[in-house]
Amino acid sequence: MKALTVVSIFIFLFFWEIFYWIFIKDPFLFSPPSRVFPTFFNIMTGRDPSFYLPADIIYSLYHYFHGFSVAVMLGVSLGLLMGYSKKFEALISPIIEILRPIPPIAWIPIAILLLKLTHAAAAFIIFIGSFFPVLINTRSGVANVEIKYIEAAMTLGAKKSDILRKVVIPSAMPSIFTGIRVGSGVAWMCVVAAELFGVSAYGLGYQIEIARLYHAPEVVLSYMLSIGLIGFLLDRFYRILEHSLMKWRRGLVVE
Amino acid sequence: MSEILSVKRLKKKFGDLLVLDDINFSVREGEFFSIIGPSGCGKTTLLRIIAGLESFEGEVLLKGREIRGPGADRVMVFQDYALFPWRNVIRNVTFGLEVKGMRKDDSLKIAREMIKIVGLSGFEEKYPHELSGGMKQRVALARALVCDPELLLMDEPLSALDAQTRLEMQEELMRIWQKTKKTVIYVTHSIEEAVYLSDRILVLSKRPAKVKDVVEVFLERPRNRFSAEFAEICLKLHSLLK
Repeated sequence: MKALTVVSIFIFLFFWEIFYWIFIKDPFLFSPPSRVFPTFFNIMTGRDPSFYLPADIIYSLYHYFHGFSVAVMLGVSLGLLMGYSKKFEALISPIIEILRPIPPIAWIPIAILLLKLTHAAAAFIIFIGSFFPVLINTRSGVANVEIKYIEAAMTLGAKKSDILRKVVIPSAMPSIFTGIRVGSGVAWMCVVAAELFGVSAYGLGYQIEIARLYHAPEVVLSYMLSIGLIGFLLDRFYRILEHSLMKWRRGLVVE
Repeated sequence: MSEILSVKRLKKKFGDLLVLDDINFSVREGEFFSIIGPSGCGKTTLLRIIAGLESFEGEVLLKGREIRGPGADRVMVFQDYALFPWRNVIRNVTFGLEVKGMRKDDSLKIAREMIKIVGLSGFEEKYPHELSGGMKQRVALARALVCDPELLLMDEPLSALDAQTRLEMQEELMRIWQKTKKTVIYVTHSIEEAVYLSDRILVLSKRPAKVKDVVEVFLERPRNRFSAEFAEICLKLHSLLK
Protein backbone atom coordinates (compact mmCIF):
# COMPACT_ATOMS: atom_id res chain seq x y z
CA MET A 1 0.00 0.00 0.00
CA LYS A 2 2.82 2.41 0.92
CA ALA A 3 4.47 1.70 -2.42
CA LEU A 4 1.25 2.51 -4.26
CA THR A 5 1.02 5.86 -2.47
CA VAL A 6 4.52 6.79 -3.62
CA VAL A 7 3.79 5.62 -7.17
CA SER A 8 0.58 7.63 -7.35
CA ILE A 9 2.33 10.80 -6.17
CA PHE A 10 5.12 10.39 -8.71
CA ILE A 11 2.69 9.80 -11.56
CA PHE A 12 0.82 12.95 -10.58
CA LEU A 13 4.02 15.05 -10.44
CA PHE A 14 5.19 13.61 -13.75
CA PHE A 15 2.02 14.60 -15.63
CA TRP A 16 2.00 18.00 -13.99
CA GLU A 17 5.54 18.63 -15.21
CA ILE A 18 4.76 17.36 -18.73
CA PHE A 19 1.56 19.42 -18.85
CA TYR A 20 3.52 22.60 -18.15
CA TRP A 21 6.22 22.02 -20.75
CA ILE A 22 3.79 21.01 -23.49
CA PHE A 23 0.85 23.40 -23.02
CA ILE A 24 1.96 26.47 -21.03
CA LYS A 25 5.69 27.17 -21.11
CA ASP A 26 5.16 30.59 -19.53
CA PRO A 27 6.58 31.09 -16.00
CA PHE A 28 4.23 34.01 -15.33
CA LEU A 29 1.12 31.90 -15.80
CA PHE A 30 1.86 28.50 -14.30
CA SER A 31 4.70 26.48 -12.78
CA PRO A 32 5.88 22.88 -12.96
CA PRO A 33 6.75 20.96 -9.78
CA SER A 34 10.46 21.36 -10.59
CA ARG A 35 9.99 25.05 -9.89
CA VAL A 36 7.38 24.86 -7.16
CA PHE A 37 9.39 22.67 -4.81
CA PRO A 38 12.48 24.92 -4.65
CA THR A 39 10.17 27.90 -4.12
CA PHE A 40 8.30 26.05 -1.41
CA PHE A 41 11.62 25.31 0.29
CA ASN A 42 12.69 28.96 0.05
CA ILE A 43 9.53 30.49 1.47
CA MET A 44 9.39 27.85 4.17
CA THR A 45 12.91 28.58 5.40
CA GLY A 46 12.92 32.36 5.07
CA ARG A 47 15.20 32.63 2.05
CA ASP A 48 12.60 34.63 0.16
CA PRO A 49 12.40 38.38 0.88
CA SER A 50 8.63 38.75 0.31
CA PHE A 51 7.03 35.54 1.55
CA TYR A 52 7.50 33.63 4.78
CA LEU A 53 5.29 30.55 5.00
CA PRO A 54 5.54 29.66 8.73
CA ALA A 55 4.15 33.05 9.75
CA ASP A 56 1.26 32.67 7.33
CA ILE A 57 0.53 29.18 8.59
CA ILE A 58 0.38 30.46 12.15
CA TYR A 59 -1.99 33.27 11.20
CA SER A 60 -4.26 30.97 9.23
CA LEU A 61 -4.34 28.40 12.00
CA TYR A 62 -5.18 31.19 14.41
CA HIS A 63 -8.16 32.24 12.26
CA TYR A 64 -9.18 28.62 11.85
CA PHE A 65 -9.08 27.75 15.54
CA HIS A 66 -10.76 30.99 16.53
CA GLY A 67 -13.75 30.47 14.23
CA PHE A 68 -13.90 26.71 14.47
CA SER A 69 -13.71 26.46 18.26
CA VAL A 70 -16.68 28.81 18.62
CA ALA A 71 -18.54 26.75 16.00
CA VAL A 72 -17.86 23.53 17.91
CA MET A 73 -18.91 24.95 21.27
CA LEU A 74 -22.07 26.55 19.94
CA GLY A 75 -22.90 23.80 17.44
CA VAL A 76 -22.53 21.00 19.99
CA SER A 77 -24.53 22.73 22.71
CA LEU A 78 -27.36 23.88 20.44
CA GLY A 79 -27.38 20.46 18.75
CA LEU A 80 -27.70 18.76 22.14
CA LEU A 81 -30.59 21.01 23.10
CA MET A 82 -32.32 20.52 19.76
CA GLY A 83 -31.97 16.75 19.88
CA TYR A 84 -33.05 16.63 23.50
CA SER A 85 -36.06 18.95 23.48
CA LYS A 86 -38.72 18.82 20.80
CA LYS A 87 -39.93 22.31 21.75
CA PHE A 88 -36.52 23.86 21.36
CA GLU A 89 -36.09 22.10 18.03
CA ALA A 90 -39.42 23.46 16.77
CA LEU A 91 -38.43 26.92 17.95
CA ILE A 92 -35.01 27.08 16.36
CA SER A 93 -35.17 24.83 13.34
CA PRO A 94 -36.96 27.26 10.96
CA ILE A 95 -34.20 29.83 11.53
CA ILE A 96 -31.51 27.22 10.98
CA GLU A 97 -33.10 25.93 7.81
CA ILE A 98 -33.15 29.41 6.25
CA LEU A 99 -29.63 30.42 7.32
CA ARG A 100 -28.00 27.11 6.46
CA PRO A 101 -28.16 27.34 2.63
CA ILE A 102 -26.46 30.77 2.60
CA PRO A 103 -22.84 30.08 1.58
CA PRO A 104 -20.15 31.42 3.95
CA ILE A 105 -18.80 33.61 1.13
CA ALA A 106 -22.09 35.49 0.99
CA TRP A 107 -21.50 36.58 4.59
CA ILE A 108 -18.18 38.27 3.76
CA PRO A 109 -19.58 41.74 2.95
CA ILE A 110 -21.58 41.81 6.19
CA ALA A 111 -18.61 40.52 8.16
CA ILE A 112 -16.40 43.29 6.80
CA LEU A 113 -19.00 45.99 7.35
CA LEU A 114 -19.69 44.95 10.92
CA LEU A 115 -16.27 43.78 12.05
CA LYS A 116 -14.03 45.73 9.63
CA LEU A 117 -10.84 44.14 8.33
CA THR A 118 -10.02 42.29 11.53
CA HIS A 119 -9.12 38.77 12.60
CA ALA A 120 -12.64 38.55 14.01
CA ALA A 121 -14.11 39.03 10.53
CA ALA A 122 -12.11 36.08 9.23
CA ALA A 123 -13.02 33.97 12.24
CA PHE A 124 -16.66 34.84 11.69
CA ILE A 125 -16.66 33.50 8.12
CA ILE A 126 -14.95 30.32 9.30
CA PHE A 127 -17.49 30.02 12.09
CA ILE A 128 -20.41 30.31 9.64
CA GLY A 129 -18.95 27.59 7.43
CA SER A 130 -18.30 25.05 10.16
CA PHE A 131 -21.17 25.72 12.56
CA PHE A 132 -23.91 23.98 10.57
CA PRO A 133 -22.23 20.60 9.99
CA VAL A 134 -21.39 20.41 13.70
CA LEU A 135 -24.92 21.38 14.69
CA ILE A 136 -26.73 19.05 12.30
CA ASN A 137 -24.62 16.00 13.14
CA THR A 138 -24.89 16.60 16.89
CA ARG A 139 -28.65 16.96 16.65
CA SER A 140 -29.11 13.77 14.68
CA GLY A 141 -26.76 11.91 17.02
CA VAL A 142 -28.85 12.92 20.01
CA ALA A 143 -32.18 12.30 18.29
CA ASN A 144 -31.03 8.79 17.35
CA VAL A 145 -30.00 7.63 20.82
CA GLU A 146 -31.59 4.22 21.24
CA ILE A 147 -34.48 4.31 23.67
CA LYS A 148 -33.39 1.04 25.27
CA TYR A 149 -30.26 2.69 26.71
CA ILE A 150 -32.34 5.48 28.20
CA GLU A 151 -34.80 3.01 29.69
CA ALA A 152 -32.01 0.86 31.08
CA ALA A 153 -30.47 3.94 32.69
CA MET A 154 -33.82 4.99 34.15
CA THR A 155 -34.47 1.64 35.79
CA LEU A 156 -30.93 1.79 37.22
CA GLY A 157 -31.96 4.99 38.99
CA ALA A 158 -30.51 7.62 36.65
CA LYS A 159 -31.91 11.14 36.93
CA LYS A 160 -32.46 13.42 33.92
CA SER A 161 -29.04 15.03 34.26
CA ASP A 162 -27.37 11.59 34.50
CA ILE A 163 -29.14 10.47 31.35
CA LEU A 164 -27.87 13.50 29.46
CA ARG A 165 -24.28 13.18 30.68
CA LYS A 166 -23.89 9.43 30.88
CA VAL A 167 -26.16 8.15 28.11
CA VAL A 168 -27.14 10.77 25.54
CA ILE A 169 -23.75 12.45 25.10
CA PRO A 170 -21.57 9.32 24.94
CA SER A 171 -24.06 7.64 22.66
CA ALA A 172 -24.12 10.66 20.32
CA MET A 173 -20.32 11.04 20.44
CA PRO A 174 -19.56 9.25 17.14
CA SER A 175 -22.04 11.49 15.37
CA ILE A 176 -20.68 14.60 17.08
CA PHE A 177 -17.20 13.65 15.91
CA THR A 178 -18.41 13.22 12.35
CA GLY A 179 -19.76 16.77 12.61
CA ILE A 180 -16.44 18.00 13.95
CA ARG A 181 -14.49 16.38 11.13
CA VAL A 182 -16.80 17.61 8.38
CA GLY A 183 -16.95 21.04 10.03
CA SER A 184 -13.17 21.22 10.28
CA GLY A 185 -12.85 20.51 6.57
CA VAL A 186 -15.28 23.29 5.69
CA ALA A 187 -13.61 25.64 8.20
CA TRP A 188 -10.24 25.13 6.60
CA MET A 189 -11.64 25.83 3.14
CA CYS A 190 -13.24 29.00 4.45
CA VAL A 191 -9.87 30.22 5.74
CA VAL A 192 -8.74 31.04 2.21
CA ALA A 193 -11.97 32.84 1.31
CA ALA A 194 -11.95 34.77 4.57
CA GLU A 195 -8.34 35.94 4.23
CA LEU A 196 -8.55 36.91 0.55
CA PHE A 197 -9.97 40.28 1.53
CA GLY A 198 -6.98 41.33 3.55
CA VAL A 199 -8.11 41.06 7.12
CA SER A 200 -4.43 40.86 8.08
CA ALA A 201 -1.10 41.14 6.31
CA TYR A 202 -0.39 37.45 6.87
CA GLY A 203 -2.27 34.23 6.23
CA LEU A 204 -2.25 31.60 3.51
CA GLY A 205 -5.37 32.94 1.82
CA TYR A 206 -4.10 36.50 1.80
CA GLN A 207 -0.65 35.67 0.44
CA ILE A 208 -2.02 33.51 -2.33
CA GLU A 209 -3.78 36.60 -3.68
CA ILE A 210 -0.67 38.77 -3.23
CA ALA A 211 1.39 36.20 -5.12
CA ARG A 212 -1.09 36.34 -7.97
CA LEU A 213 -0.67 40.13 -8.15
CA TYR A 214 3.13 39.54 -8.31
CA HIS A 215 2.54 37.09 -11.17
CA ALA A 216 4.36 34.42 -9.24
CA PRO A 217 2.44 31.19 -9.90
CA GLU A 218 5.19 29.14 -8.25
CA VAL A 219 4.38 30.96 -4.99
CA VAL A 220 0.63 30.56 -5.51
CA LEU A 221 1.09 26.83 -6.03
CA SER A 222 3.38 26.56 -2.98
CA TYR A 223 0.68 28.12 -0.85
CA MET A 224 -1.94 25.84 -2.37
CA LEU A 225 0.27 22.88 -1.55
CA SER A 226 0.60 23.91 2.07
CA ILE A 227 -3.16 24.50 2.37
CA GLY A 228 -3.72 20.95 1.14
CA LEU A 229 -1.10 19.49 3.46
CA ILE A 230 -2.39 21.25 6.56
CA GLY A 231 -5.99 20.33 5.77
CA PHE A 232 -4.88 16.72 5.48
CA LEU A 233 -2.99 16.88 8.78
CA LEU A 234 -5.96 18.43 10.57
CA ASP A 235 -8.22 15.66 9.37
CA ARG A 236 -5.65 13.09 10.52
CA PHE A 237 -5.51 14.76 13.91
CA TYR A 238 -9.28 14.48 14.41
CA ARG A 239 -9.28 10.89 13.23
CA ILE A 240 -6.62 9.94 15.75
CA LEU A 241 -8.43 11.82 18.50
CA GLU A 242 -11.69 10.10 17.60
CA HIS A 243 -10.02 6.72 17.57
CA SER A 244 -8.43 7.13 20.99
CA LEU A 245 -11.54 8.65 22.59
CA MET A 246 -13.87 5.97 21.28
CA LYS A 247 -12.06 2.71 21.84
CA TRP A 248 -15.43 1.06 22.33
CA ARG A 249 -16.23 1.41 18.66
CA ARG A 250 -13.22 -0.57 17.50
CA GLY A 251 -14.43 -3.65 15.75
CA LEU A 252 -17.94 -2.20 15.46
CA VAL A 253 -17.19 -0.01 12.47
CA VAL A 254 -15.25 -0.82 9.36
CA GLU A 255 -12.94 2.05 8.67
CA MET B 1 -43.30 -14.90 53.67
CA SER B 2 -44.56 -11.34 53.44
CA GLU B 3 -45.94 -9.66 50.38
CA ILE B 4 -43.57 -7.29 48.57
CA LEU B 5 -45.56 -6.32 45.48
CA SER B 6 -49.28 -6.22 44.96
CA VAL B 7 -51.07 -5.52 41.71
CA LYS B 8 -54.74 -4.63 41.91
CA ARG B 9 -57.34 -4.05 39.19
CA LEU B 10 -54.58 -3.26 36.71
CA LYS B 11 -55.64 -2.19 33.22
CA LYS B 12 -53.55 -1.14 30.25
CA LYS B 13 -54.69 0.26 26.93
CA PHE B 14 -52.64 1.22 23.88
CA GLY B 15 -55.02 3.68 22.27
CA ASP B 16 -58.26 1.73 21.91
CA LEU B 17 -56.56 -1.63 22.24
CA LEU B 18 -57.09 -3.22 25.63
CA VAL B 19 -53.97 -5.22 26.48
CA LEU B 20 -54.25 -6.01 30.18
CA ASP B 21 -57.71 -6.38 31.69
CA ASP B 22 -58.21 -6.40 35.46
CA ILE B 23 -54.98 -8.05 36.55
CA ASN B 24 -54.68 -8.97 40.24
CA PHE B 25 -51.79 -10.80 41.89
CA SER B 26 -49.13 -10.38 44.52
CA VAL B 27 -45.50 -11.38 44.83
CA ARG B 28 -43.90 -12.60 48.08
CA GLU B 29 -40.60 -11.37 49.38
CA GLY B 30 -37.65 -13.48 48.23
CA GLU B 31 -39.53 -15.64 45.76
CA PHE B 32 -38.79 -16.40 42.16
CA PHE B 33 -42.00 -15.45 40.40
CA SER B 34 -42.54 -16.09 36.69
CA ILE B 35 -45.08 -14.75 34.25
CA ILE B 36 -46.00 -16.84 31.22
CA GLY B 37 -48.65 -16.47 28.55
CA PRO B 38 -49.27 -16.71 24.81
CA SER B 39 -47.00 -14.50 22.70
CA GLY B 40 -48.27 -10.96 22.33
CA CYS B 41 -50.47 -11.22 25.43
CA GLY B 42 -48.77 -8.38 27.28
CA LYS B 43 -46.30 -10.14 29.60
CA THR B 44 -43.57 -7.67 28.77
CA THR B 45 -46.00 -4.76 29.11
CA LEU B 46 -46.92 -5.97 32.58
CA LEU B 47 -43.25 -6.10 33.55
CA ARG B 48 -42.62 -2.65 32.07
CA ILE B 49 -45.51 -1.29 34.13
CA ILE B 50 -43.93 -2.66 37.30
CA ALA B 51 -40.61 -1.13 36.20
CA GLY B 52 -42.35 2.23 35.89
CA LEU B 53 -41.76 2.53 32.15
CA GLU B 54 -45.46 2.49 31.14
CA SER B 55 -48.59 4.31 32.25
CA PHE B 56 -51.54 2.24 33.57
CA GLU B 57 -54.86 2.28 35.38
CA GLY B 58 -55.24 0.56 38.72
CA GLU B 59 -52.86 0.03 41.58
CA VAL B 60 -49.31 -1.27 41.78
CA LEU B 61 -47.88 -1.20 45.30
CA LEU B 62 -44.28 -1.97 46.22
CA LYS B 63 -44.13 -2.59 49.99
CA GLY B 64 -47.36 -0.61 50.27
CA ARG B 65 -46.03 2.41 48.37
CA GLU B 66 -47.51 3.29 45.01
CA ILE B 67 -44.93 3.17 42.22
CA ARG B 68 -44.37 6.36 40.25
CA GLY B 69 -41.94 6.16 37.36
CA PRO B 70 -38.79 4.06 37.16
CA GLY B 71 -36.40 3.68 40.06
CA ALA B 72 -33.41 1.68 41.24
CA ASP B 73 -35.61 -0.29 43.68
CA ARG B 74 -36.97 -2.19 40.65
CA VAL B 75 -34.16 -2.83 38.21
CA MET B 76 -34.98 -4.35 34.86
CA VAL B 77 -32.85 -6.78 32.88
CA PHE B 78 -33.71 -6.54 29.20
CA GLN B 79 -34.04 -9.22 26.56
CA ASP B 80 -31.32 -7.65 24.40
CA TYR B 81 -29.22 -6.77 27.48
CA ALA B 82 -29.11 -3.00 26.69
CA LEU B 83 -25.50 -2.80 27.89
CA PHE B 84 -23.92 0.59 27.24
CA PRO B 85 -21.55 -0.10 24.33
CA TRP B 86 -19.34 2.90 25.25
CA ARG B 87 -18.60 1.49 28.70
CA ASN B 88 -16.48 -1.55 29.46
CA VAL B 89 -17.78 -4.35 31.68
CA ILE B 90 -16.82 -2.86 35.02
CA ARG B 91 -18.11 0.59 34.13
CA ASN B 92 -21.39 -0.87 32.95
CA VAL B 93 -21.71 -2.56 36.33
CA THR B 94 -20.85 0.60 38.31
CA PHE B 95 -23.47 2.69 36.45
CA GLY B 96 -26.23 2.33 39.04
CA LEU B 97 -23.78 3.11 41.85
CA GLU B 98 -22.40 6.18 40.07
CA VAL B 99 -25.82 7.75 39.64
CA LYS B 100 -26.48 7.06 43.32
CA GLY B 101 -23.44 9.22 44.02
CA MET B 102 -21.21 6.50 45.48
CA ARG B 103 -17.46 7.14 45.70
CA LYS B 104 -15.50 5.68 42.82
CA ASP B 105 -13.30 3.22 44.72
CA ASP B 106 -16.28 1.91 46.70
CA SER B 107 -18.33 1.35 43.57
CA LEU B 108 -15.40 -0.36 41.82
CA LYS B 109 -14.96 -2.68 44.78
CA ILE B 110 -18.63 -3.66 44.86
CA ALA B 111 -18.69 -4.09 41.07
CA ARG B 112 -15.63 -6.37 41.16
CA GLU B 113 -17.27 -8.59 43.76
CA MET B 114 -20.47 -8.81 41.74
CA ILE B 115 -18.57 -9.58 38.55
CA LYS B 116 -16.95 -12.42 40.45
CA ILE B 117 -20.35 -13.72 41.60
CA VAL B 118 -21.69 -13.81 38.04
CA GLY B 119 -18.50 -15.55 36.92
CA LEU B 120 -16.88 -12.89 34.75
CA SER B 121 -13.66 -12.13 36.62
CA GLY B 122 -10.93 -11.25 34.16
CA PHE B 123 -13.33 -9.58 31.72
CA GLU B 124 -13.62 -6.26 33.60
CA GLU B 125 -11.91 -4.20 30.90
CA LYS B 126 -13.67 -5.77 27.90
CA TYR B 127 -16.25 -3.86 25.89
CA PRO B 128 -19.73 -5.34 25.22
CA HIS B 129 -19.00 -6.04 21.55
CA GLU B 130 -16.15 -8.31 22.62
CA LEU B 131 -18.47 -10.58 24.67
CA SER B 132 -20.74 -13.51 23.77
CA GLY B 133 -24.51 -13.38 24.39
CA GLY B 134 -24.30 -15.37 27.63
CA MET B 135 -21.52 -13.14 28.95
CA LYS B 136 -23.48 -10.00 28.07
CA GLN B 137 -26.45 -11.34 30.03
CA ARG B 138 -24.16 -11.94 33.03
CA VAL B 139 -22.98 -8.33 32.83
CA ALA B 140 -26.58 -7.10 32.64
CA LEU B 141 -27.40 -9.20 35.69
CA ALA B 142 -24.41 -7.88 37.64
CA ARG B 143 -25.30 -4.31 36.65
CA ALA B 144 -28.80 -4.83 38.05
CA LEU B 145 -27.72 -6.68 41.21
CA VAL B 146 -25.20 -4.09 42.44
CA CYS B 147 -28.12 -1.68 42.85
CA ASP B 148 -29.46 -4.06 45.48
CA PRO B 149 -33.04 -3.67 44.20
CA GLU B 150 -36.16 -4.80 46.07
CA LEU B 151 -37.32 -6.39 42.83
CA LEU B 152 -35.29 -7.78 39.99
CA LEU B 153 -37.36 -7.67 36.81
CA MET B 154 -36.23 -9.93 34.01
CA ASP B 155 -37.74 -9.77 30.54
CA GLU B 156 -37.07 -13.00 28.64
CA PRO B 157 -33.40 -12.61 29.50
CA LEU B 158 -32.28 -15.91 28.02
CA SER B 159 -34.33 -15.99 24.84
CA ALA B 160 -31.55 -14.65 22.61
CA LEU B 161 -29.19 -17.47 23.61
CA ASP B 162 -28.60 -20.82 21.94
CA ALA B 163 -30.15 -23.89 23.59
CA GLN B 164 -26.97 -25.10 25.27
CA THR B 165 -26.02 -21.71 26.73
CA ARG B 166 -29.60 -21.23 27.80
CA LEU B 167 -29.59 -24.34 29.99
CA GLU B 168 -26.27 -23.33 31.51
CA MET B 169 -27.57 -19.85 32.21
CA GLN B 170 -30.70 -21.23 33.89
CA GLU B 171 -28.49 -23.11 36.33
CA GLU B 172 -26.30 -20.05 36.80
CA LEU B 173 -29.35 -17.93 37.44
CA MET B 174 -30.49 -20.33 40.16
CA ARG B 175 -27.04 -20.29 41.75
CA ILE B 176 -26.92 -16.47 41.74
CA TRP B 177 -30.50 -16.14 42.93
CA GLN B 178 -29.90 -18.48 45.86
CA LYS B 179 -26.76 -16.54 46.74
CA THR B 180 -28.30 -13.05 46.56
CA LYS B 181 -31.82 -13.92 47.82
CA LYS B 182 -33.48 -11.33 45.58
CA THR B 183 -37.17 -11.26 44.73
CA VAL B 184 -37.32 -11.94 41.00
CA ILE B 185 -40.16 -11.39 38.55
CA TYR B 186 -39.31 -13.28 35.42
CA VAL B 187 -41.10 -13.11 32.07
CA THR B 188 -40.59 -16.04 29.74
CA HIS B 189 -42.41 -17.83 26.95
CA SER B 190 -40.85 -21.17 27.86
CA ILE B 191 -42.94 -23.36 30.17
CA GLU B 192 -40.02 -25.61 30.95
CA GLU B 193 -37.82 -22.67 31.92
CA ALA B 194 -40.53 -21.28 34.19
CA VAL B 195 -40.97 -24.63 35.96
CA TYR B 196 -37.21 -25.10 36.34
CA LEU B 197 -36.72 -21.67 37.92
CA SER B 198 -39.85 -20.56 39.73
CA ASP B 199 -41.53 -20.78 43.10
CA ARG B 200 -44.77 -19.62 41.54
CA ILE B 201 -45.93 -19.06 37.97
CA LEU B 202 -48.55 -16.55 36.87
CA VAL B 203 -50.40 -17.70 33.75
CA LEU B 204 -51.94 -15.02 31.54
CA SER B 205 -54.64 -15.59 28.91
CA LYS B 206 -54.69 -14.33 25.35
CA ARG B 207 -55.15 -10.59 24.74
CA PRO B 208 -56.83 -8.81 26.46
CA ALA B 209 -54.92 -10.69 29.13
CA LYS B 210 -56.50 -11.79 32.39
CA VAL B 211 -54.96 -13.91 35.12
CA LYS B 212 -55.77 -17.54 34.36
CA ASP B 213 -54.09 -19.08 37.35
CA VAL B 214 -51.12 -18.87 39.67
CA VAL B 215 -49.36 -22.24 39.83
CA GLU B 216 -47.13 -23.08 42.77
CA VAL B 217 -44.08 -25.29 42.13
CA PHE B 218 -43.12 -27.30 45.22
CA LEU B 219 -40.19 -29.24 43.71
CA GLU B 220 -36.83 -29.32 45.52
CA ARG B 221 -33.91 -27.48 43.98
CA PRO B 222 -31.85 -28.24 41.96
CA ARG B 223 -34.73 -29.55 39.92
CA ASN B 224 -34.62 -32.57 37.68
CA ARG B 225 -36.05 -31.70 34.30
CA PHE B 226 -36.68 -35.36 33.54
CA SER B 227 -38.68 -36.30 36.62
CA ALA B 228 -42.37 -37.24 36.40
CA GLU B 229 -43.39 -34.41 38.76
CA PHE B 230 -41.61 -31.87 36.58
CA ALA B 231 -43.37 -33.15 33.48
CA GLU B 232 -46.69 -33.10 35.29
CA ILE B 233 -46.43 -29.38 36.10
CA CYS B 234 -45.32 -28.60 32.55
CA LEU B 235 -48.34 -30.47 31.25
CA LYS B 236 -50.67 -28.60 33.57
CA LEU B 237 -49.30 -25.24 32.40
CA HIS B 238 -49.49 -26.38 28.83
CA SER B 239 -53.21 -27.10 29.09
CA LEU B 240 -53.76 -23.77 30.89
CA LEU B 241 -52.15 -21.94 28.00
CA LYS B 242 -54.31 -23.58 25.35
